[in-house]
Amino acid sequence: MINIFYNEWRGFLRNKLFIFFITFFIISLAVVTFFGIIQNNKQIQSQKDAHSHIRAQWDEMEDSNPHSAAHFGTYAFKANTILNSLDDGINSVTGVVLRLEGHTQNDVAFSEASQSLIISKFGKFKVSLLFQFIIPLFLIFLSFNIYTSEVASKRIKLLIIQGNSLKKIVFAKTFTLLSLGFILLLFTILIQLFFNFSEIELDQIVRLNVFFFSYLIYYFIIILFTVFLSLIFKNSTSALSLTIITWFLWTIFLPKTIGNLTENISPLSTRFELQEKMKKDRSEGIDGHNPFDERRVKLEEEVLAKYKVDSLSQLPINFSGILMQADEEYGNQVWDKHYGDLYEKLEAQKKNYQLSGFINPFASLQSLSMASAGTDLIHHLYFLNEAEKYRRYFIKTLNDEYAFGGSKTGERGWKASNDFFRSIKDFTYKEATFSSISHKYFIDIFCLLFWLFSLIGLIIFTSKRVLIE
Amino acid sequence: MSLSVFLFEFKHFIRSKAKLFSYLFFMLLCVFSIYNGFEIMHKQIDSIIDIQQKQKKEVLQLVEWFDKQEKGPEDKPWVNIENPYWSIRYTPSYIIKEPSSLFPLGIGQSEQFAFYKKVTRWSSTYDTDMVEEISNYERLINGNIDFSFLIIFLLPILLIILTYNINGLEKDLKFHKLISVQNKRINRWIFNRLSFYVFLLLVSINSLILGVGLFNSGFSNISSILRLILISNLYIISFSLIFYYLNNKGKSSSSIAFKMISVWLLFCVIIPGSVHQYVSFKYPVNYMTDFLDVNRKEKYEVFKLEDFDLYNILIDIYPNIEYTKKSQDKQLDSPTVRRSISVIIDQMNIYAVNYIEKQNEEKNKLIRLSYFFNPISYVQNIWNSCTSTDYNAYRDFRIEIQESISERNKLLVLELWKDNKVDKEKYKMYLEVLNN
Repeated sequence: MINIFYNEWRGFLRNKLFIFFITFFIISLAVVTFFGIIQNNKQIQSQKDAHSHIRAQWDEMEDSNPHSAAHFGTYAFKANTILNSLDDGINSVTGVVLRLEGHTQNDVAFSEASQSLIISKFGKFKVSLLFQFIIPLFLIFLSFNIYTSEVASKRIKLLIIQGNSLKKIVFAKTFTLLSLGFILLLFTILIQLFFNFSEIELDQIVRLNVFFFSYLIYYFIIILFTVFLSLIFKNSTSALSLTIITWFLWTIFLPKTIGNLTENISPLSTRFELQEKMKKDRSEGIDGHNPFDERRVKLEEEVLAKYKVDSLSQLPINFSGILMQADEEYGNQVWDKHYGDLYEKLEAQKKNYQLSGFINPFASLQSLSMASAGTDLIHHLYFLNEAEKYRRYFIKTLNDEYAFGGSKTGERGWKASNDFFRSIKDFTYKEATFSSISHKYFIDIFCLLFWLFSLIGLIIFTSKRVLIE
Repeated sequence: MSLSVFLFEFKHFIRSKAKLFSYLFFMLLCVFSIYNGFEIMHKQIDSIIDIQQKQKKEVLQLVEWFDKQEKGPEDKPWVNIENPYWSIRYTPSYIIKEPSSLFPLGIGQSEQFAFYKKVTRWSSTYDTDMVEEISNYERLINGNIDFSFLIIFLLPILLIILTYNINGLEKDLKFHKLISVQNKRINRWIFNRLSFYVFLLLVSINSLILGVGLFNSGFSNISSILRLILISNLYIISFSLIFYYLNNKGKSSSSIAFKMISVWLLFCVIIPGSVHQYVSFKYPVNYMTDFLDVNRKEKYEVFKLEDFDLYNILIDIYPNIEYTKKSQDKQLDSPTVRRSISVIIDQMNIYAVNYIEKQNEEKNKLIRLSYFFNPISYVQNIWNSCTSTDYNAYRDFRIEIQESISERNKLLVLELWKDNKVDKEKYKMYLEVLNN
C-alpha cells in the first residue's frame, strides 16, 4: 500500500499539469489567506474605532437626566474575530450596527450587502471559497480515472499479481489524493497560525481543528464518491459526468433548494406582522387582558403600599423611574415571546437544513466551516442575545438611577452626574466558545461521518465484487 | 450553416437521455424559479396591502375625529388635532417600493433592502427599520432559486453538459479523423453542432422572459423585457464562443469538460470573488459612525440650543418662516420653535446620508471599473436594473423616502409658524402633501 502511495506521488510530480495546479493552489491559498487576514484585521480595527468613538461620547456626557440618556442610548457593533478570515459566512448579509436604547429593541442594520452593487454570488474569494468550490473539483478531476485508467492500461492486473487486493489499490490511491488535500489544508492552517499567533487561544485551536478535519473528511468523501462511481461505471467519462453533476447538485443546487424548503416548513412572520403583534401585546398586555393603564395603576398602588404613603408626591423616590423600568420589563417579556419564537424558528430552520447533510455532505461542511470561523447563524444569534442582555442591564441601571438616585416623582429636570454615566459598564462582546455550542453541530459531524463510513463500506463491498478481466 | 448537421444534432439530443434530462430539468428549474419569484412578489404585495389598510385606518380615525369634532384620543387629552403639529403627527406616511412587474425574472438584491418605510418627521433613510425583510441569513447567503441566477450561473453549466463532448467524444473514440475526412471544415462542423444548442437555449430562455414579461405587464414594460432578452442572448453567445474555442482545441471530452468548468469557475466564482475581496479590503463595511453621530450626539446638541439660535437656523433652511404670523410676534413662541427642531435634524441627516451615499458610490465606481474583466458582475447588475432590484433601484427608493420626510417637515414647520388651524378640508390638503 505504501509503495502504491509513493508511486502515485511520483506520478503526480512528473505530471506538468499537476505541478501547475498544485503551485497555483498553494500560491492562491497563500495570497488569499494572507489578504483575508489583512482585510479581516482592517475590519476588526474599524469596528474597534467605531466602538471607542461611541463609548467616548458616552463617557463625555454632561450631567443629564437618566431617561434622556436612555434615549441617547448606545450602539453595539458586530465584531469580527480573527478566524472570520477563513469563511465570511453570513457576515456580508447581516447588519453590523445595533442601536441599544430605552423602550425599544432595534434590528441590526447596515449590512455590507446593502452598501453596494452586487459583486459575487458566491461570496468573497476567501479560503472557504477555494476549499468549498475549487479544490473539490480539482480532486474530482484527479480521482475520476484512478481506477479506470489502471484498467484501461491493464496495469491493474500487474498490481494484483504482485499481491495487492483491489481494495488496497483503491485505498492507496485514495489516500494519495487525500494527502494532497491534507497538505493544502495544513498549509492554510499554518499561515493562519503564523499571522495570528499572538492572538490564538485554546478556543481558536479547537476551531481550527474543526475546520481542518471537516474539510479533510469532506475531501475524503469527494474522493471516495468519485472512485466509487468509477468502480461502478468502469467508464471514465460516465464517472466524470456523474461526479460533476453531483458536485453541482451538492454545492449549488441543493443548498438553495433545501434552504427554500426549510423556510417553507417553518415560515417566518413578515416584519410588519411581527411589529404589529408586538405593539398590540405591549399596549393590551401579552394575554390581551392587561392593558398598560391597568398595569400602571396596579404598580402605583403597590409602590404606595410599600412606602406606606398616600400619594406619589410623598414618595421618597421617583415613581417615573420605577414605572419606566416596569414598562421596560414588560416590553422585554413581549420581545422574549416574539423574538424568542423567531429565533427558535430560525434555529429549527437551521436544524432542518443540517439534516439535509444526509443527502448533501456539502451542507454539513458549509455549516461546520462557518461554525469554526464563527460566522454562522448560531454565532449571530448569540451576538444579538448578548447585545440584548447588555441593553437590559444598560436601561435598568439608568432607570434605577432615575428612581432611586435621589430624585422625587415629578422632578423631570433632575440630572445624574457624569461619574454615574461613566460607571456604567461598556458592552464587551466575547464570542461563544466552540465547546459551549458544539452540541448544535453534532448533526453535521454525524452526517459527514455517516457519508464517510458508508462510502468506505460501499467501496470495500464493491471492490470485492469487481471482476478484473 | 449545414442544416443536416444541425438536424443530426437535434436527433442526437433527443436520443441522449443525459442531455435531454439535463435540459428538461433546467427548464423545470426555470419555471420553478419564476414561480418562486411570483411567491416572493406576492408576499411583498400582501405586506403592502396590510400597510395600506393600516394607513387608511389611521387616516379614517382622524377624519372621524374631525367629523365628531373631537380633539383626539380620549385617553390623551393633551392632543389637539386642530393644531397642525398633532394632525400631522397622527398621520404617518408609508413610502412603498412596489415590486416591478419583472420581479419574478430576477429578485436581485431585493432581499437585502426594506421595501417600505414608515415616515415620521424624525425619520431618515438609514433608520434601523430600513433593514431587509425577516429571513434566515444562512438561506440568504445561499440565495434563492432565482431565474437570473439560473441564467447567469447555471445556464453555462447546462451548456457544458450539452456541448462538452462535441469533437471530444470523437477524439476519445479516435474517429475524429473520419469526421475530418467527411467535413472539409471541421470548425464549421463544430460550429453547426454547437449552434443547435445555442439556438435551443436562446429560444427557450427568450420564450420564458417574453412570456413572463408580457403576462405580468403587457407591453408597458417592453423596453426592459427586450433589454433582458438582449443581455441573456449576448451572455449565452459569449459563453458559446468560448466553448466553441475549447471544443475546437480540446484533446478529449474530459479535457474539454475540465477546461469548460475551469472557465466557468474563473468567470463566475474566482474573478467576482476576488473583486469582492478587494472591494471589501479597500472599502471595509461602513459602521456609519458619522450618521450615528448626527442621530445621537449632534441631535442632542441641537436640543440644547436656545430658541433664538434654533430660530436662526430654521430661517436659513426655510426663509419663508420669517414672514409667517408667529415670526411677527414680539417674543418667540418656544413650543413652536421646539416642535420645528425636526427640520434641523432632517437637514443634518441629509448631509450625513449624502456622505454615506457618496462613499457607497465610490465603492460602486470601483465595482464598475472591474466590469471589463469581471463581466458576470456587470451582467448581474444590468439584469437587476431591468427588474428594479439592484442597488440603484433601492437608492432611488431612499431618495423618494427623503423627499417625503423633507416634505412632511416643510409642511409641519410652515403650518406651525403660520399658526393655522386644521379642519377637515385642511386635513385633506395635508393628506395630499403627505401621501404624494
